[in-house]
Amino acid sequence: MTTMDKIKSTDAPMNLAYRLRSLLFSQEGVLFIIMIVSVLFLATRTDKFLTVSNLLQQGRFMTEVGLIAIPMTYIIITGGIDLSVGSILGLTAIILGWTWQELSFPLELAIITGIIAGTIAGFINGFFIVRVKVPPLIMTLATLALYRGLAEGISEAKSARGYPEWFFQLGQGDFLGVPTQLWLLIVAVIIFAIILARTQTGRALYAIGNNETGARFSGLTVDRYLLFIYTLSGFMSGLAGYIFVSRVSTTRSDMGTGIELDVIAAVVLGGTSIFGGTGSVIGTMIGVVLIQLLKNGLALTGVTSDATIIVIGSVLIFAILVNNFIQNRRLGM
Amino acid sequence: MRKTFAITLVLGLLVALFSVPTGAQDDRWDGSDDLETNPLACGMEEMMEEDAEEGDEEEMMEPMEYDGGSATDAPDMAGQDIVLVDVPKLVGIGYFAATTQGQQEAAEELGNVTVTTDAPTEANIDDQIQVIDSYITQGVDGILFAANDPVAIAPVLRTALESGIHVVGYDANSEPDAREWFVNQAEFNGIGKAMIDSLVDQMGEDASFGIVTSTFTTPNQARWISEMWAYASDCYPDLEWLETLEAQEDAVLSFQQAQTLINKYGEDLDGIVAMTSVATPNSADAVQQAGLCEDIAVVGLATPNDMKPYVNDGCVRDAILWNPVDLGYAAVYVMRAIIDGEFAPGDTSVMAGKLGELQVVNGSEVLLGAPFVFNAENINDFDF
Repeated sequence: MTTMDKIKSTDAPMNLAYRLRSLLFSQEGVLFIIMIVSVLFLATRTDKFLTVSNLLQQGRFMTEVGLIAIPMTYIIITGGIDLSVGSILGLTAIILGWTWQELSFPLELAIITGIIAGTIAGFINGFFIVRVKVPPLIMTLATLALYRGLAEGISEAKSARGYPEWFFQLGQGDFLGVPTQLWLLIVAVIIFAIILARTQTGRALYAIGNNETGARFSGLTVDRYLLFIYTLSGFMSGLAGYIFVSRVSTTRSDMGTGIELDVIAAVVLGGTSIFGGTGSVIGTMIGVVLIQLLKNGLALTGVTSDATIIVIGSVLIFAILVNNFIQNRRLGM
Repeated sequence: MRKTFAITLVLGLLVALFSVPTGAQDDRWDGSDDLETNPLACGMEEMMEEDAEEGDEEEMMEPMEYDGGSATDAPDMAGQDIVLVDVPKLVGIGYFAATTQGQQEAAEELGNVTVTTDAPTEANIDDQIQVIDSYITQGVDGILFAANDPVAIAPVLRTALESGIHVVGYDANSEPDAREWFVNQAEFNGIGKAMIDSLVDQMGEDASFGIVTSTFTTPNQARWISEMWAYASDCYPDLEWLETLEAQEDAVLSFQQAQTLINKYGEDLDGIVAMTSVATPNSADAVQQAGLCEDIAVVGLATPNDMKPYVNDGCVRDAILWNPVDLGYAAVYVMRAIIDGEFAPGDTSVMAGKLGELQVVNGSEVLLGAPFVFNAENINDFDF
């Protein structure tokens, strides 16, 4: 054999078997397998779990977390974090209710005002993180309190109720048999997964996460990208706030409290490294679905809420350990 | 750049601070429900302690029309074993441990009822909705609930009714048509009157006081505060209300809010009115630790066990409650009576085991009885 032939024969075989294997053992693949195993296990314990209506209902409940998890994935990939998403959700809900009830805005305008308020809140986060160079953890921790306080102040502790019927279509209605908000989530997932995986924006985010200084010196407009993702986070939180109000038919200033933890857990479970540089929207979505189905499946098998939290925590640790183990072995492959 | 940040943050905080008092909060002590209030007659002697008295002194209201919902196509389980689920606001506090105890007692007495208590570990509406939803999917015969928010919980309860599951509320109501009956522990105006009377008795008619509640939109606390306000406006107009703080049924937060009141108003504070069974002992603790037992009266709703150290110490004079064990007990009996067909819309009373006959008030509410006052003389007789 000539030297060239020898070199060619050592190329990794790009055949189907190799592709399937690398897909299966990728972070998302392992998580997907864990999810399937959990679902099958829970399905054997109760026959009410794996029904279409139950799964669709769970899709309804997980939409808010799912929507917020998308920009959170982007943010954590760049090595940042956004803890204020829950407060932005609450602020949007309150502004929606307050402008409609106190300022007598037409309801459509109130909805848009609320979401714009959420977007601006995200923009303020991004502005201070980018221009004033406040670390994201500190900034969003501060706005977590600030936005929540604003929500409580504006609402004056009143809740806005009595919305017209069409308002509930988004949160409580169905479209072609599937909960309306779930369509929104599916469309958002497709769009943002493609942006992350296939466009320059996505690649830029990974670059920023891996080495921000390097990215800057390579000519990437790092500041613009960061501003974009934090504003997107505010927008998605606002959208989630609107869906939430539509789902529970009322606004309260404590809405969204604690949701940032659910979102971050799902993102980290989905394979996104907290140090930045790796992650995917699909992985995050598998994480969101896994947590929601676990919660629901356990509840249906008769496990009470306090025990459910223990199981979910354990599964989280287990999934991350298994994934780490397999990824480390793969690197040696 | 740091300076810009600091200035902007301070400005932002100032905006948040000032947006609070700009509301028309002068007349209301809470912001939430706009239901009518119905204050009782003034005067201390009418501290209601027996059912008989209550019947005489309340205005003769015409019996309201039944305004509850109904279960669609519920299977007929009269006399058969039933499975119930109880979803209180949260688990892990003494009050709902007591209601659970009452429910288990009733279940044992009846023999053909199984009750499980399951609720989120924080008083969170979304989690409560998801818990109820999973039990609808599981398929239970009846749901007992204490709502974190009357409007938010209504859609999922209506779904339960449409699935043929019976729904009975206790402690904290939902919208009337989302449940069949609501077991009301005591008339809202009775509690309002008892709290204000106790405060005035200890600190005089011109006392200044602050309120520590759960949240402004929790149904029962909001109603009690509305009634307190209406009663005080009629009978003790010189009472000065300072502020209402939220403490979310959290022990540490209640303590901190009470401390905030003490530190903020100093000598002007004569009383703290605590609206939850978690806020009262923790407010008493804050007052005791500040050494101000003589100067600040703590008045509130609490379980006797939580208040024993403070009442026996002399720091707190009395605590007001009803018997939550009886409340849970009555809820199970009401549910059993509905399923057996012995209690239907239009009835004016229902038999509830050892509690005897309970009256129907306000259309679709079952009244447990009058508020009970625990003080140094009787508090050691109770254990919940």
